[in-house]
Amino acid sequence: MQPEEAQPHLTPARRTAQALRALTPAHVPGAAAGELWVGVHLPVPVPADALQRLALRAGRYTPRVSLEPPDGLLLEVKGSLHLFAGAAGVRRAVTDECRHLELPSVLAFAPTPLAALALARAGKPRAVLDRSALIGQLAPLPLETLRWPGEILARLARSGVRTIGAALRLPRGGFARRFGLAQLAALDALTGRTRDLRQAFRARVRFRRRHALSRELEQHPAILTALTPLLADLGTFLRAHQYGVLELECLLEHRHSPPTRCLMRLAAPVADAGRLGELLGERLSVLTLPEPVRGCELRSAALVPRRPDCPHLWQPGEHGGGLSSEASGLLELLRVRLGEEAIYGLTLLEGHRPEKAWGKTAPPATAAGSRATPGRDPLRAARRPLWLLPAPQSLPVRDGLPRRCGPLRLIGEPERIETGWWDGDEIARDYYTAADPHGVLLWVFRDRAAPHGWYLHGVFG
Amino acid sequence: MDGAPKLARLLEHPALWRGRSAARLEVLPSGFAALDARLPGCGWPRTGLIEILAARFGSGELYLLLPALAALTHATAARWCVWVAPPLMPFAPALVSAGIELDRVAVVGGTRPLWAFEQVLGSGACDAALAWARQPKPRELRRLQLAAERGRTLGVLFRPLSAAREASPAVLRLGLRPLAAGVRVTLLKGRGVDRGMIELAWPEGAPGRLQG
Repeated sequence: MQPEEAQPHLTPARRTAQALRALTPAHVPGAAAGELWVGVHLPVPVPADALQRLALRAGRYTPRVSLEPPDGLLLEVKGSLHLFAGAAGVRRAVTDECRHLELPSVLAFAPTPLAALALARAGKPRAVLDRSALIGQLAPLPLETLRWPGEILARLARSGVRTIGAALRLPRGGFARRFGLAQLAALDALTGRTRDLRQAFRARVRFRRRHALSRELEQHPAILTALTPLLADLGTFLRAHQYGVLELECLLEHRHSPPTRCLMRLAAPVADAGRLGELLGERLSVLTLPEPVRGCELRSAALVPRRPDCPHLWQPGEHGGGLSSEASGLLELLRVRLGEEAIYGLTLLEGHRPEKAWGKTAPPATAAGSRATPGRDPLRAARRPLWLLPAPQSLPVRDGLPRRCGPLRLIGEPERIETGWWDGDEIARDYYTAADPHGVLLWVFRDRAAPHGWYLHGVFG
Repeated sequence: MDGAPKLARLLEHPALWRGRSAARLEVLPSGFAALDARLPGCGWPRTGLIEILAARFGSGELYLLLPALAALTHATAARWCVWVAPPLMPFAPALVSAGIELDRVAVVGGTRPLWAFEQVLGSGACDAALAWARQPKPRELRRLQLAAERGRTLGVLFRPLSAAREASPAVLRLGLRPLAAGVRVTLLKGRGVDRGMIELAWPEGAPGRLQG
């Protein structure tokens, strides 16, 4: 660049205009002039993670990699050509990567991403480096390489249009009307008339750090102290990447035994190292260690992008103030101390058998939001007790009447529940409400099958 | 001249305690008019620990609370209603028919009910929390009461009637005995309540009322 003194005739305004012109690509009718894309087509079906692994390796050649699932990969290599001895060098390198992963591949070079993919899909490993030669190379390719819907391809074929060249020769207005705007846009992107923006592939981010201890530790507080620098690192990492952690794994290594794993699942993404430390401390306090600890390692099992907390105007409970952070905090605390299954919600199930009329579910949503009110069925529930025994409990019988702390007084009409013959768990029972001598209301039933025993199944509460 | 309304407004401030006065408490109607009339502030306190001492399990202690719980879970932006270590399984169909929103109900099991109850009360994530305890120590009860105030939660602790003689930091204590079609409530402790008995009849059609 010229020093400023060398161009005394430039006024500030003209200089600004010149700088702006340098920044904006000189009138791009479509694609940025200086792009060169490599389309990688994998003719053999591959698992999804193979494509991701290939994308990770392709990151060595260019920062602009984008996935074209299920079987394609795009690399923008214009800026890297001189580093890898031109297009031929890049081709050799990327082919080597595919071979390393044992993936057969077809590579094609073209100035637009869609053209590179179409060439590769057609099985033509060409290198079209010049925009002017692009249409000539594309014209003989079958339209199937563009992966349009089959119905549109069939309609085009009926009009005698089978190649890209033939489609490009059709008048644009009529083409858009007959075959859809999306197809016209695809053709424009193919030829570089409009710019084709691709989402860049980003490698999955993980946090993993190990810390070898200078001496063996047995006490939980000491272990937590040893973990603190790792947690601080994790906090910095999460802040820098704007991530929150949903699952955190802590490995404690011993001299002989296999490492103790301790997995924490969080109710909402957490990015605060202090809070993670508290939860980890709770978790460690209930852990029994087979041996002293020699080293520890922290791994983030699941990272999610995090939105910063928005503090609520009201306190929880005040004028419907927010709830989510308190609820997820409580959920995590109870889970780490009492176990994953310690907290659950209740739900209704479709079933007439009392045992199968309810079920456990995940704890209620942490955010108070829209709730679906289940239809209430007053008939069904009018005579249901608030408490249900885990299993019916047999009652002693004297003079044909059940007893519990004395004879039970049966109240009202029985309700017959006779169902479940289809799944082998058949019941046939007459349910009564009964009052015991102390006035406690019970829900008892008499089995209709021999030997006609009496059972206690619920307490009205 | 205009001092009287000002004074009245000042006296309504919840932080001002005037013995058994009309200092306004944040309360929750219990759903039983006869009980409301005798409770301080005419309803269950909105925050704090209350104790219900039932003669036997199933004396009607839950039916006494159900209308209030139903109202709490139906409120807009309702918080959770947590049952800590219930002695039996709460039967979901009966809760629904009593008008309780199951989406807001959570059950906590596990081995340390009092610890869990304190965490639940103090978390601020719950409108109400119920727990069953046999013999909590006075210190634990005090901690529960403080946690309930911190979390702005109504904590209900169910205990046997034999605990009526022990001192307790709860804001309200009720004794309960079942009757033929209702329950006899004994007011044991409360801010400015007359100690005494109230006989409540379950409303017509309530599951507790099935006599005859």
